[in-house]
Amino acid sequence: MRAPALARGRELVLLLWAFAIAAAGSLAVTGARTGTFAPSALAVPTSLLAVALALHAVLIVRRSRGDQVLLPLAVALAGIGLVLVDRLAPSLLLQQVTWVVVGAGAFVAVLLVPRELGTLARFKYLWALFGFALLFTPLLPVVGQEVNGARIWIRLGPASFSPWEAVKLILVVFFAAYLEEFREVIARPRRIGPLPVPPVAYLAPIFGAWAVAMLTMVAGRDLGATLLFFGIFLAMLWLATGEAAYVVYGAILLFAGALVAVEVFPHVAARVEVWQRPFAEDLRFGASYQLVQGLFALGAGGVLGAGFGSGLPERIPIVWSDFVFDAFAEETGFAGALALLGLVLLLVYRGLAIALRAPTPFLQLMAGGLSFAVALQTLVIVGGNAALIPLTGLTLPFVAYGGSSLVTNFALVGLLVRISDRGTGGRR
Amino acid sequence: MDSAFSVLLWIVRLAFLGLLYGFLIRAFASVQRALADERAAVRPAGLAVLVARPGGARHPLRAVNAIGRDPGGDVVLRDDAASARHAVIELVAGEWWVEDAGSTNGTRVNGHPVGSRTRLRYGDEVTIARTTLRLEQA
Repeated sequence: MRAPALARGRELVLLLWAFAIAAAGSLAVTGARTGTFAPSALAVPTSLLAVALALHAVLIVRRSRGDQVLLPLAVALAGIGLVLVDRLAPSLLLQQVTWVVVGAGAFVAVLLVPRELGTLARFKYLWALFGFALLFTPLLPVVGQEVNGARIWIRLGPASFSPWEAVKLILVVFFAAYLEEFREVIARPRRIGPLPVPPVAYLAPIFGAWAVAMLTMVAGRDLGATLLFFGIFLAMLWLATGEAAYVVYGAILLFAGALVAVEVFPHVAARVEVWQRPFAEDLRFGASYQLVQGLFALGAGGVLGAGFGSGLPERIPIVWSDFVFDAFAEETGFAGALALLGLVLLLVYRGLAIALRAPTPFLQLMAGGLSFAVALQTLVIVGGNAALIPLTGLTLPFVAYGGSSLVTNFALVGLLVRISDRGTGGRR
Repeated sequence: MDSAFSVLLWIVRLAFLGLLYGFLIRAFASVQRALADERAAVRPAGLAVLVARPGGARHPLRAVNAIGRDPGGDVVLRDDAASARHAVIELVAGEWWVEDAGSTNGTRVNGHPVGSRTRLRYGDEVTIARTTLRLEQA
């Protein structure tokens, strides 16, 4: 085999492209705001490049032979996120840059610890306990915080974060370990006609996961968290057992539960009503104002968009965290929005390919679950922004303003890079 | 804002989109190349041998192979530290996998302990007790 001129040369080239994207975006945003092209516009993209090159160097020093596309994809998405925060909420830009640096730290951390990724499987019930504890912390009276009707935030002193993001990672690890151990049993169900009926004892986790999902929907008031949690579980159950029927059962359960919740709980019903008729007289200046402004922004973009700085995305309340996709679509148009989704799609495609090639079933399930989590989260938030499904409090991975999202998604990509490395250790 | 600046601003905005698509295409090409490289490293699966080190003895493999000291096994090792039935290497859907069969001293692939079933590529080294066996195409 031909030796490449540079270790991880492809990654380096792609990182420079990602820098160029962020630089062009920053120049356009500050150019439109100030009327000149000041070199200071390049400060943020340059610091992003510095962080990216540091991560690149860590991978070379660790002699990683893992994937070379995931890190540039993450950096490109984070770069677009920085450009958008600069455009939509300049006062938060410095915080977002700080979170990128912390995210890079998380990326390095998962490369180094643990020495063997397989050992994560040993502590599966500890992960489950930790995950569910985080899941329900926002519901506690003192630390929990309600933002825009959804109780999915934890407040610790001045900082508040959404534990959902971290829960996503932890539960994927738990499901992977659990399903690896029990999949032989769950995958050989008795059949009644064409329908597989799993042994009663093994239905328990399915009903357990469903009960937790319902509880988060009703108590946490967030549909996105419910969809993400239950969706990841069903997808990994399907990956582990090859029984598509389990996904159908789960979907029926979830749908039935949602129908009951809409009838019984007014706050769930309100969300669904906003989604069904956002333009209604009594809603469009009230409950559905945010969604309506988002839809106008989405529609105003056209093919090439209004151009950075020329749109009116400021009209959407909390645009930098909830509606970045609509803001991006307004200012860069269909072309930009399509490319953004293309970046996420490529990340997911690469992640699923890594899952297929992973050395052990545990790592296969983990890589598959992590990739699917990114895909589903993007689908749920973009679908919500476009009023295709009820709007939720999830963030667009890497792009939306928010520390917990950036940090966990960088960790997620770090895990995928590590799983793609031959041998599970990250070293030769 | 004068018109020259407006034109320049639009050039930068379109450059942003152009760079975005350029990156997307290059990244996609890189993924495809990486996948092709990975396929080349795994296939063609078919007949394979384990080459012992030290010694260089060649053990041809079947679809399922019991490895250990047991003289009735498929690959018989003369290694006191090996268990009678130490590990199993099998061909599943065109790929080789190794699994430790509950041995006393453990099995390693390229130096990493094998917990559950682990995928093998040609050139990988399976260490059973004190014997190292390299998977090679026959």
